[in-house]
Amino acid sequence: MDLGFLPQLPPAFGQPALIGALLLAGLLGGELVRRLLGLPRITGYVLAGVLLGPQVSGLLAPGALGEARVLIDLSLGLIVFELGHRLDFQWLRRNRWLFVAALAESAFCFGAVLATLLAFGFEPLLAATAAAIGTATSPAVVLLVAHELRAAGQVTERMLLFTAVNSVLAYVALTLLLPFLHLEHAVSWGEAVLHPLYILGGSALVAFVASLALLWLAGWVGKREDRQFILLIALVVLAVGVARSLNLSVVVTVIVLGMLARNFDYEQVLLPLRFGYGGQLFFVILFVLAGASVEFTAVPAVATAVVAFIVARYLGKSLAILAFGRLSGVRPGSAGLLSLALLPMSGLAVVMVLDTQAMYPAFGGELAAVVLSAVAVLEILGPIATQFALKRAGEADPAAGSA
Amino acid sequence: MDETHFTASAPLTLGVELELQLVKSHDLDLARDAGDLLARLEKVKLAGAVKPELTESMIELNSSVHTRHAALAAELDATRDAVVREAGMLNLQMCGGGTHPFHSWTERRIFPTERFRHILERYGYLAKQFTVFGQHIHVGCASGDDAVYLVHMMTRYVPHFIALSAASPFYQGEDTSFQSSRLTAVNAFPLAGHMPFVQDWAEFIEYYNKMRAFGVIESMKDFYWDIRPKPEFGTIEMRVCDTPLTVGRAAQLAAYAQALAKWILEERPQPAKRAVYLVNAFNRFEASRFGLRGQLIDPFEEAKRPLGEDILDALAGVMPQAAALESTEALSALAADVRRGYSDAGWLRERFAANKSLAHTVRESAARWAGDKPRASG
Repeated sequence: MDLGFLPQLPPAFGQPALIGALLLAGLLGGELVRRLLGLPRITGYVLAGVLLGPQVSGLLAPGALGEARVLIDLSLGLIVFELGHRLDFQWLRRNRWLFVAALAESAFCFGAVLATLLAFGFEPLLAATAAAIGTATSPAVVLLVAHELRAAGQVTERMLLFTAVNSVLAYVALTLLLPFLHLEHAVSWGEAVLHPLYILGGSALVAFVASLALLWLAGWVGKREDRQFILLIALVVLAVGVARSLNLSVVVTVIVLGMLARNFDYEQVLLPLRFGYGGQLFFVILFVLAGASVEFTAVPAVATAVVAFIVARYLGKSLAILAFGRLSGVRPGSAGLLSLALLPMSGLAVVMVLDTQAMYPAFGGELAAVVLSAVAVLEILGPIATQFALKRAGEADPAAGSA
Repeated sequence: MDETHFTASAPLTLGVELELQLVKSHDLDLARDAGDLLARLEKVKLAGAVKPELTESMIELNSSVHTRHAALAAELDATRDAVVREAGMLNLQMCGGGTHPFHSWTERRIFPTERFRHILERYGYLAKQFTVFGQHIHVGCASGDDAVYLVHMMTRYVPHFIALSAASPFYQGEDTSFQSSRLTAVNAFPLAGHMPFVQDWAEFIEYYNKMRAFGVIESMKDFYWDIRPKPEFGTIEMRVCDTPLTVGRAAQLAAYAQALAKWILEERPQPAKRAVYLVNAFNRFEASRFGLRGQLIDPFEEAKRPLGEDILDALAGVMPQAAALESTEALSALAADVRRGYSDAGWLRERFAANKSLAHTVRESAARWAGDKPRASG
């Protein structure tokens, strides 16, 4: 009997099976963690990813990450766009102290981490690079926790604003450090100066063009939420793709696209953004994959430095918020919660480390291990901190349950 | 507090309460930051007061006591400016109007005070659906008997105030076809309606004590009447108005109430008449559904006539009183709007037709509240 209709064993599962499995794992992980431990679902997604990943079971091969790249780009793109879209220049103009507080939050955090790493004897230039990476709060975590808790209020708004600002500044700082890294590697002055200019200017230009296209097309399709949602996804993915192929910064491009789309919308053509269930799918995949790529192995070896990194990062952030929070109109008591909410670090930092490493192998070894281990720890603890802060601030919707 | 004692106040003094919407700048939905905003406003010196209201999406702005329209309008302007400025520091916008056009009532949260929690417990979803925004007008009375008479006589004019203030055509994301959909939310409460047809303060107190003895009410606050006496202030309180889209109109409405009250209390044009309450429900519905284009049954003349006309006649009729109260300008402005068929509800519909988004309609309405000139009107 010819059984040629049967697949070869073991069967080769393609993308659909992979995505289905990721979603299922995320769903189960999220629900279990929430029901059994009362922790945020995001922590469950990440844990599911860790279990599936090469570090534990190895079910999720490293290659799978590459295959799902477009999904990661899309989900990160949407998240970063929304974050940028929420950044209201008018607010910063009306409330100057808020602007100062946001800048200080990034600056103090950078300074505190830099000082700590120097104390650990790391080389100044590499320490500065790591500090720049540490400045950014994870946009995906804060936005998703806020979404899932249906949080609204001053701590939530400021958490999102500060995250947008510190993500952009982290990238700018990282890019500005490039010339020095270049020079370390004996590249010409011209190249060293042109590279950051190309990245920042190019990203801004792509964002500018995309925002004009978005606003023009949104005006043309009219105020239909469904049409505008498709348009938005299309342009965000396009911007991500173009930025990637031009070797620009994807995050800077999309976050600036979000900011411009909001602040250039003089004719009010864009409807307020809502992701709904569709958005959730991407976010589950994003965090399961983030979990799968988490690097735990180095944690024990660099434990002291990791703890110092996390503590310095937190202290830097809280010092700035405590110093300027009152002036910018945070109610007493919520400054501490705001700093806690800004704790998460995640995939974004991993990407920054890998990109830097690719260009400069010197940024590897122990320092990369410190940053990646900090990410591994905060990938789990970050969402919990943010959820705790928003709930404690009374800004979570009680009916929404745990995130 | 002894609510059976009517504290006499200077007749015809005026006070206004405005319930305001607090909206988020980024999606124009209702915010939940009343607590933070109130905390900021505590540090600002204001002539009136700003208070929490039933849900965390609303605040209430109280004027101080006034005798003249101009002073009231100036004070409301100044308070509005302060509130808008402080809200801006928190990235919030303030908005007039009787309803938020598209918020979902299930997302509302009750402001955490003892009384508001009690209301939620007692009335369930009605309390959250009651996220509507009204203007209350207080007019001072010399005695409880005057207050009772004034309530009965003013009831005939309730439809005027409904139509002139109507600013809630949209509710839960839908065009309700009403000019004031807010009143419908008020009607659901068991103690909504009107004061019984009592003859004087003594009879009213008899009724009040009976209701308390039955356990139907605990205090005067439990009556959600269109007009109710407020003995501790020595006023009657008219509660049918939507919060208008501008403070200017709020002050004009108060001036109209004051002029009517002056005419009623000083001229005593007629004895109070029970028939007022027979036609009240019909008149009220016509005014909230059709606004200025509705019908009104005059219980004294026993005739039906267009509401707009009736308002114009009444405004003209109290012009002498307005002259004495220095408010002719305010009343003329109201009359001019009636003549050109303007209402805040109509403006909201017109803006929605033009920009096709309720969120953007709220944004424009917030800009108007903040003092920007309207884009269009009529």
